[in-house]
Amino acid sequence: MIELKNITKIYEANKHNKVTALDNINLKFNEGELIVLKGSSGSGKSTILSLIAALSKPTSGEVIVDDKRISKLPDNFASLYRREHIGFIFQKYNLIPTLSVKENILLPLIPNNPDENECDFKLKTVLDKFNISHKKDSIVKNLSGGEQQRVAISRALINDPKIIIADEPTANLDEKLSLDFCDILKNLKTQNKTIIVATHDPIFFDLEFVDKIIEIKNGTII
Amino acid sequence: MLLSPEVLAIQILNFIFLIFAIVALILSIKIYKYWDINSTSNTQYKLEKQSFLAASIIKYIFALKLPLFLFFIFTLDKISAQLTGAMCAAGVVDATDYGSYLFILKIFNIYIFGAWLIIHNIDINKENLPYTKQKFALFIFIFFTLLIEIILEFTMFASIDLNMLVSCCGTIYSSAASSSTSSIFTFNSSLIVSIFYILLVSQIIITFFQKYTNIKYLFSLVNILFFLVAISSLISFFGTYIYELPTHHCPFCFLQKEYHYIGYLIYSLLFAGTFFGITVSIVKSNQKYYKLSSIFNSLYTLLVSSYVILFYIKNGVWL
Repeated sequence: MIELKNITKIYEANKHNKVTALDNINLKFNEGELIVLKGSSGSGKSTILSLIAALSKPTSGEVIVDDKRISKLPDNFASLYRREHIGFIFQKYNLIPTLSVKENILLPLIPNNPDENECDFKLKTVLDKFNISHKKDSIVKNLSGGEQQRVAISRALINDPKIIIADEPTANLDEKLSLDFCDILKNLKTQNKTIIVATHDPIFFDLEFVDKIIEIKNGTII
Repeated sequence: MLLSPEVLAIQILNFIFLIFAIVALILSIKIYKYWDINSTSNTQYKLEKQSFLAASIIKYIFALKLPLFLFFIFTLDKISAQLTGAMCAAGVVDATDYGSYLFILKIFNIYIFGAWLIIHNIDINKENLPYTKQKFALFIFIFFTLLIEIILEFTMFASIDLNMLVSCCGTIYSSAASSSTSSIFTFNSSLIVSIFYILLVSQIIITFFQKYTNIKYLFSLVNILFFLVAISSLISFFGTYIYELPTHHCPFCFLQKEYHYIGYLIYSLLFAGTFFGITVSIVKSNQKYYKLSSIFNSLYTLLVSSYVILFYIKNGVWL
């Protein structure tokens, strides 16, 4: 279970330039749910995702994931938590353009120093699942947008995380690829993954398998 | 003021350390006063960030100060050539009223800086940062020992008079001298050396009983004694075999090139061994420290003993 308790997040460039991204919000997500965070740009959706992923800390309040106060974790433990529990799909994929598909997907495994057989097995599983086995050795910058996104999803899932976070995942995709992505989410949901998607793409608002749609405006929940 | 490049480097570094240490002190006081790891307030989150900054500053100051102790000795040794009468660092230490106090304080600080680094390392490797408050409280104390060290160091270098005649180590470390160090010679060197070996064997025996929690205090105490006796035996006995001269007892001359800078290795082994030995008392999972202490102290003993054995093999007599 993911719980955000009395979360306030203020970005402070300097004393006279403060932006309140989240204003005392409370949220609770159950395991296996697919949640869509809806809102315009700058509403605070991405901030919620970064707090759940322990990429940033709140100004006040706490984030609890499976009874662990992750907002209180020191940086080294936050990294460990991300590595073990979070799969992050970014709007611009954040792939390393000069590496191959295989190398990009295997990146999250490097800190665990796994043996070659384990790597091969995990790689084959995700490549088959997302139908990109034939592109295994291609350099990422030469792939199409849809293919790059499938690589990004594969990378997010290689560690078999319990929580998948997607920040504007369809912003760079056409309608067909966006629908394909929705199918992938549906499939992941059947595996009891908790999925949180931050988007303003209307394609997500009518999906039957979405459990909650939460609208955020100016850092508060509507 | 004596301004050799080495002295200048030390003073500049001290000035930089002091500025950063003041920043760390201000943060440490704030952290010590308001730290509450269970709080989810803005203040606590800010303190968590500031604790990371303060700890990083302190860590780098201490990590640099440790090897700088050896550089300090090297500097004393080097400037001894400019002081009439001085043959090595001992003459420079003895040249002012502050040298001996500074030297003792530096040794004390080495141990306490090392202890802070170990506590910090344990603290940041636990999710709930259990020793944050304690480590910053310790730093508040350490800041003042560091400050005194920097003031003493500045005063010592400032008050060295190049026209003054100073004592050489042969005079300072001699049974005929009336200095505090000469009191070592009132003890029989065989007795000191016997105690030295007994203490080493005691340490090794204690490591077999490390499952008993309170034995760690005994181990630390033995290490403190071992350090004191090791220095005494080095001056009164082992040093003479390093120099191959029965009357020369200086604990500094073997840091020089003529003796292949062996003193740096000797002191590094002794400091490391006794440091880890003392640390077992402040660390919960301390098996590693028992082992490290025993290894370094044994290597130290082997090294100094080898000079005695080699001398006997070469010459067929004891000094």
